[in-house]
Amino acid sequence: MITTVTLNPAIDREYFVKENKPNLHQYIYDDEGVKVSPGGKGVLSAINLKNLGHEDVQNIGFVGGKQGLFFERLVQDCDITTNYIFTENEMRNNIFIIGESPATYTHYNDYTYSVSDKDINNFIKRFKRGIVDSEFIMISGAIPGGVSFDIYKELISICHENNKEVYLHASGEVLNLALEEQPKVVVPYFKHTNKILDKEVATIEDYIWAGKKLLEEGAQYAILPYECNHLIFDKDETYKVSSKDFCMVNWLGAGEAYNAAFFDYVERKGFDFIEANRWAAAAALVVAEEKEILLKNKGEIEERLELIEVERVSI
Amino acid sequence: MSKVKNYMMRSLNSVCQHDEVEGVIRLMHKIERSVLPVVDDENTFLGTIYIQNILKNIIPERYGFLDINKFIYERNQAAENLNNIKGKKVKDYMSKKVISVKEDESMDDMASIIIKNKESYLYVVNKEDKLRGYISRADLLYYLLEVGEEGDESRRD
Repeated sequence: MITTVTLNPAIDREYFVKENKPNLHQYIYDDEGVKVSPGGKGVLSAINLKNLGHEDVQNIGFVGGKQGLFFERLVQDCDITTNYIFTENEMRNNIFIIGESPATYTHYNDYTYSVSDKDINNFIKRFKRGIVDSEFIMISGAIPGGVSFDIYKELISICHENNKEVYLHASGEVLNLALEEQPKVVVPYFKHTNKILDKEVATIEDYIWAGKKLLEEGAQYAILPYECNHLIFDKDETYKVSSKDFCMVNWLGAGEAYNAAFFDYVERKGFDFIEANRWAAAAALVVAEEKEILLKNKGEIEERLELIEVERVSI
Repeated sequence: MSKVKNYMMRSLNSVCQHDEVEGVIRLMHKIERSVLPVVDDENTFLGTIYIQNILKNIIPERYGFLDINKFIYERNQAAENLNNIKGKKVKDYMSKKVISVKEDESMDDMASIIIKNKESYLYVVNKEDKLRGYISRADLLYYLLEVGEEGDESRRD
């Protein structure tokens, strides 16, 4: 079983309108004008993994209030095994308004969700028995209010006590603290702050510094999105993973496709850091070149594999 | 052949045998369910705990044709009894002899099991008896609807 962890999921509600104008009361009559889907980095990666043909994929985390039951059904409709702690507080709703002409994209990101100490204790107990059938666990995304910044550190520690490896996709202080537990693969996300390990990153030198620093602080491998490419780091070398001749339509969902495809490769063929990244980059390219934010199958990744180049970066 | 795994709900909402009764009641209330699977620390399916298992231990007499004064007395007695047992462990109130089905079993086999049993839910396990979800009578009926529709189509062809 593949396990992905989502502590701060959301119900994503997308509204498609001709023109997004303030102070205008608009009516949406077309079914295609409204899309409701489960959101959260771990959930999206789980859906991608399911679409790539993995039979047993589990998403574990918190869901809240009456909307939690609805969210659970949305995820189960994707044939993903749900393993959630139900909290008293209602979970998040992210609102997206997409205007056609002029093309606009308005996003209201709801960060109101919080959980109690009792919920966290229940989650830790559930997590311990939830990971028994998984060897490599993906922990990704933000944490809800009420959860301590060292939660990922604690989860990684539990994984290591049970001889499981962790792929961590996190940011900020949660990431900084988690590094102490030496997760196998670390993928920081930093679009919102442009900072990794509290330092702003802009130039390629900054990125290389950050990648090497992540390894120094405890990560065994690091993957950093850099412009339209990725810089990947193991203890000996730094590589650039890039795509040639592509047409970018959107980057939404590309990170989750990358994470899922990396996992897909490791599950099927074992841990080969460079080849797993090559496969993951081809998957991210699929999403970048299409409007859809989810992968549909392996075939579309295979088609783009030859567009991916991996070259050693000399420093 | 239609398999259980194609119709089951893949939910791991569960409790452990050493969890407290209060936690079970709170979880049942949140997820609107009157039965939960009981597992061990390795997620192996051990049995179920029904709301009925708890109720029969706290209500001194069955609520029935009671006059209102007796009802209030019994309600208070039930609340007091619940207060006394809410810290007790699930293992004291669970049903251990519970049939489970394997995720690779055929839906036709499942139909005969669920019809012969009183359980409203059957819990689904993998080959190692690890909990994988549940299947309900409604899922069985949904499957039968599909079988019927397929039959209609083949008759039309």
